[in-house]
Amino acid sequence: MITRKWIERIEGEASIGFEFEENKVSFASIAFPHFRGMEAILYSKPAMDALVITPRVCGICGHSHLFAAVRAIESVYANSGFRLEISPKAQGIRELTLSLELIQNHFKWLYLVIYPELSHLVKRPIADSFRLKGAYAASIATKVLAIFAGQWPHSSYMIPGGVTCDPTYVDTVRAMGLLDELIRWFEKEVIGISMEEYLSISSAKALSRASGDMRDIDKMLRTANMHKQGFSYDRYCVLGEHGFSKPAKFLNRRTAKVNAKLVTLENPYTVDEKTYAKNALYQNTSYETGPLARAMTNGVPFVKHLHRSFRDSTYTRVMARSYEIPLLLEHCKTLVHSLHLDEPSFIEPPKKITSLSGEGVGIVEAPRGPLMHKVTLNKGIIDNYTLITPTQWNLSCGSPQTPGPAQKAMIGADSIETATFTFRAFDVCSVCTTH
Amino acid sequence: MKPRLLWLQGVTCNGNTHSFLNYPHLSYLLETFEFLYHPILPSTYTLEEISTCEYECDILVFEGAYDPRMERVGMNLERVVHHYGNHAQYVIAAGSCASFGGMFKHTDPEHITGLGFDEKEPKGPFAHSTKLINLSGCPIHPEWMGYTLRMIADNKPIAIDELHRPKELYAYLAHHGCTRNEYFEWKVDSDHFGTKEGCLFYKQGCRGPMTHASCNKILWNDVSSKTRAGSPCFGCTEPDFPRTNMFETKTNMSIPQDVPVGISKRSYLTMAGIAKSFHIPRLEKRLIDDNA
Repeated sequence: MITRKWIERIEGEASIGFEFEENKVSFASIAFPHFRGMEAILYSKPAMDALVITPRVCGICGHSHLFAAVRAIESVYANSGFRLEISPKAQGIRELTLSLELIQNHFKWLYLVIYPELSHLVKRPIADSFRLKGAYAASIATKVLAIFAGQWPHSSYMIPGGVTCDPTYVDTVRAMGLLDELIRWFEKEVIGISMEEYLSISSAKALSRASGDMRDIDKMLRTANMHKQGFSYDRYCVLGEHGFSKPAKFLNRRTAKVNAKLVTLENPYTVDEKTYAKNALYQNTSYETGPLARAMTNGVPFVKHLHRSFRDSTYTRVMARSYEIPLLLEHCKTLVHSLHLDEPSFIEPPKKITSLSGEGVGIVEAPRGPLMHKVTLNKGIIDNYTLITPTQWNLSCGSPQTPGPAQKAMIGADSIETATFTFRAFDVCSVCTTH
Repeated sequence: MKPRLLWLQGVTCNGNTHSFLNYPHLSYLLETFEFLYHPILPSTYTLEEISTCEYECDILVFEGAYDPRMERVGMNLERVVHHYGNHAQYVIAAGSCASFGGMFKHTDPEHITGLGFDEKEPKGPFAHSTKLINLSGCPIHPEWMGYTLRMIADNKPIAIDELHRPKELYAYLAHHGCTRNEYFEWKVDSDHFGTKEGCLFYKQGCRGPMTHASCNKILWNDVSSKTRAGSPCFGCTEPDFPRTNMFETKTNMSIPQDVPVGISKRSYLTMAGIAKSFHIPRLEKRLIDDNA
């Protein structure tokens, strides 16, 4: 018998069909019913319009889409023999605003999804106002982002050849002030110790030095037995190249090279439910993506330590995503410090985009993992556009023989409630998954 | 009793929800209104419960384009929107999709519209309805939503334009308050992207002078705007958003095809011709020499 359940508050909705054997989840199918046809909307549009259209794929990670789109167009240039020069300043600003989008995403997920769902699971109710902490922290991160990008959500400030903004040190000083404010808030509210000390933590035991909300989350996760469930394939894939990530896969305790050309899409497994999400695979195999994958391939000591004790449990997954916040905050500080504003923001491409034909691929690490934009241009007009989003990896819907990462993680859960929490720990985004 | 607010979604990217979360006075709104349902904020009911149509709201906020055939959590959107909209005192279209169809009208142009407009033609379940307030923009500016909700809470009238947008927000043009205004006045265009100097109206596709929006008066995220960050305004608050070729100004014989709202082409060309005839070294140089 299949028990269908609507999962809400995941940037849209998903329908999960649970099957039980001996009171444990034996299989769960995932369906995403909403579809907008972004790829069709992009068809026959001038290439530059992708910089306005693709951010609208997603309200929470549109900036990642912008970055992937600009990299895709720049890759068409490169494949046509015109490798565009992007100044270190423009690269630094792009990476800074991307990192800030990841930070706002993680804060919202932590306070508007994980904390309330977890307190519900362990029956420890919280005040509504508590959740607004996530919105507050996210709004400071997007404020810094907007200093360079003009606004968040839905900026289009990255263009082939650089960025449109031309900041002064007045802007970077302001950005640094806000970053400091956010870090102080993070120290006071989230971890209760200095960020420096928190980043030096290398074991679960040492986590007891922290206080703040993270300590509560740690306790609640253990109370809910999340360190003993949610196990998936323990295989990870990172495809985006940034200061905070390098393309690699991780399995059998070691990292190995990846080639984005080996990414494929397959149709989802469905019984009687309509779904628009295609499964993303690497060499026809499911891989987990996102902060845990980035931490495993980067060898982040704290996450590696948790992984040794608790493998890829829901606990490890939640801790890895939360731990990416201070790592990225630190990265943002370094990026702002190292900007040389006398460099150009934009270097005009040597060839007009209207004379450009060919294919290109743009890959970035979005909050939930690798985001790929593949574009084919014909004299600057979009002939084909394919989007492969991170949630298509984690939330892919395979058959009972080959379940996707989140499906596999839900198997063995003792209730729909705990299975749903494990599902949410992947940071679900419905709009990206179907686009 | 607190006024009951219900936030529903049609065909959307959730950008309005996330933009709204940047509103600095969210706690005031949560104290003032009862949120029956919001896609992210704490709410009284789940969407599944709301979809039974067993409740009523005072303010219906709708995000996303309207497709009457759409189903959400297994319920037909048309039925849910009709039920709550008919009982509500105000229907607020949050963003350009809900206002005019916007980006996601393009998913299925034949069936999808805004709540009361199909681009600029009245159409949809709240066409001609005096309840309808359009807060266009892709996405909505959080302060615009905050203003509208507080005016409603305080029982103050909101004057609207012919497209149902609050005049106090949309009588302004995106051009007003743009830091590049002087370059526009003296017709000094921006040679290329990535500079503080020059106006983006002549080459880079800026729609600021044709777009009703207070983006350069009430800044985005409290700090900036597209044009301040060197990006052209794409006219995202207007019924024809998204246009095509958005990074380029359409010109006829090197004269911009569209001129500022309410100004005749003749007046514009006369002024532009005179302004352009002067050579103004200060405006042709970099703003800050040493920081070139």
